[in-house]
Amino acid sequence: MSNNNEMLLIPKIELGIVIDHIPAGQGPKILDIIFQYEEMKDVPVTLGLNYTSKKLGKKDLIKLQMDYLAPEIIQHISIMVPGVTVKAVKDYKVHSKVVVHPPKEIKNLLECKNPNCITNSEAHIGTLFTAIDDSAKQVKCYYCERIFALDELDVVIP
Amino acid sequence: MKKDLISMEDLSIQEITDYLTAAVKVEAMPLNERVQFLPGRIMATLFFEPSTRTRLSFESAMHQLGGSVIGFAEQSATSVSKGESFTDTIHTVENYSDILVIRHPGEGTARLAAKESHLPVLNAGDGSNQHPSQTLLDLYTIQKDLGKIEGIKMAFIGDLKYSRTVHSLIRALMKLNVTDFTLVAPESLRLQKYFMSNDEPGKYQFKETDDIEEAIKNCDVLYMTRIQRERFPDLVEYEKVKDSYVLTASMLKEAKEHARVLHPLPRVREIAYDVDKTKHAGYFPQMKNGVIIRQAILLKHLGVQL
Ligand SMILES: [Zn+2]
Repeated sequence: MSNNNEMLLIPKIELGIVIDHIPAGQGPKILDIIFQYEEMKDVPVTLGLNYTSKKLGKKDLIKLQMDYLAPEIIQHISIMVPGVTVKAVKDYKVHSKVVVHPPKEIKNLLECKNPNCITNSEAHIGTLFTAIDDSAKQVKCYYCERIFALDELDVVIP
Repeated sequence: MKKDLISMEDLSIQEITDYLTAAVKVEAMPLNERVQFLPGRIMATLFFEPSTRTRLSFESAMHQLGGSVIGFAEQSATSVSKGESFTDTIHTVENYSDILVIRHPGEGTARLAAKESHLPVLNAGDGSNQHPSQTLLDLYTIQKDLGKIEGIKMAFIGDLKYSRTVHSLIRALMKLNVTDFTLVAPESLRLQKYFMSNDEPGKYQFKETDDIEEAIKNCDVLYMTRIQRERFPDLVEYEKVKDSYVLTASMLKEAKEHARVLHPLPRVREIAYDVDKTKHAGYFPQMKNGVIIRQAILLKHLGVQL
């Protein structure tokens, strides 16, 4: 669980979401992702940088004072910064804990770059990409079947 | 569960073989028997862009099976031209028919229609993405003309970069253990390198050459495609190459006895008319096979066991 060092700097919380095991330096990137979502604008957040970590050497950590993090936000984080741990804390205890990896299917997050793809003319259908490798570095549009490198695609937040 | 035909990528080797086997059975059946399969069933052809050949082939197939056909042949004839969304059009037309055949310039439209509709959807071409019934008819033609597919030698000539037909056929042939490909194309219309890479290094051979005669001599099937002027960034290059990719009867003198010339048609000038009279010309029977394979497809997707 949390080490002393961490407790000193960020007190334990009664209720909240902790995003842990963030590779050092990536914390701000995750915050950027989180604040792109309208519903997250007013959530109190603590960002910790450069903690000592057994696993990573150094790590960042984020605490959100809220009881529920929407799956689409978790999906977004898992793609941009894979491998972080999302913990739900209740009554000062870790209630659930998941290591988030890029999903096999990425829904309604990425925009298809093929101008001739139906997802661009019928925007109401949303988008769907499937990962063609485990790290989701390459993804395939479910509709037009084109394959893209993940980092060449733009993210759109509905 | 309804069954759609959207992309060759979805089909296993077994499924491809099943279509071809069904087509053999269909072809062996007299017309007065075939006409008894689908009375009262309605096929809707939704052609958001014109493609006379494909539409007529599907319609002919359905009529011969005793079914009937409704539909439109271009977007301007529909409420889509009044701004109706594609999905709304699908939800309307699905009330009038038993199966949907869709042609659309947008890529992924057939996949979308299949997701939206409770009816089976057949993709008759979505932009430059997929046209599975064309690929199946090419495979059926090869199987029929040569008696087998596995192990044959293929030559492709023409626009290998933009031709959806070629891409889809090459992928299907690779699945079916065709390993020897000769490719003849102008510099700017060559097959993309990623088509030639795969999980089994050394299994497939892609020989790129400018020597058409050499390609003809060695192949079992010579697959010709159109070279379109508008594909060339530089018209000077087009003028330079346009005549070097025209097949004439005299070029076929050295061809193997059983070698077949195929072409998805329409041709423009890439096959001279004197080729039509040679024993190698396979492109008109290929069109007839299109009706047969589409009958096999319609029967399968409308739940008729052969
Ligand atoms: Zn797409």
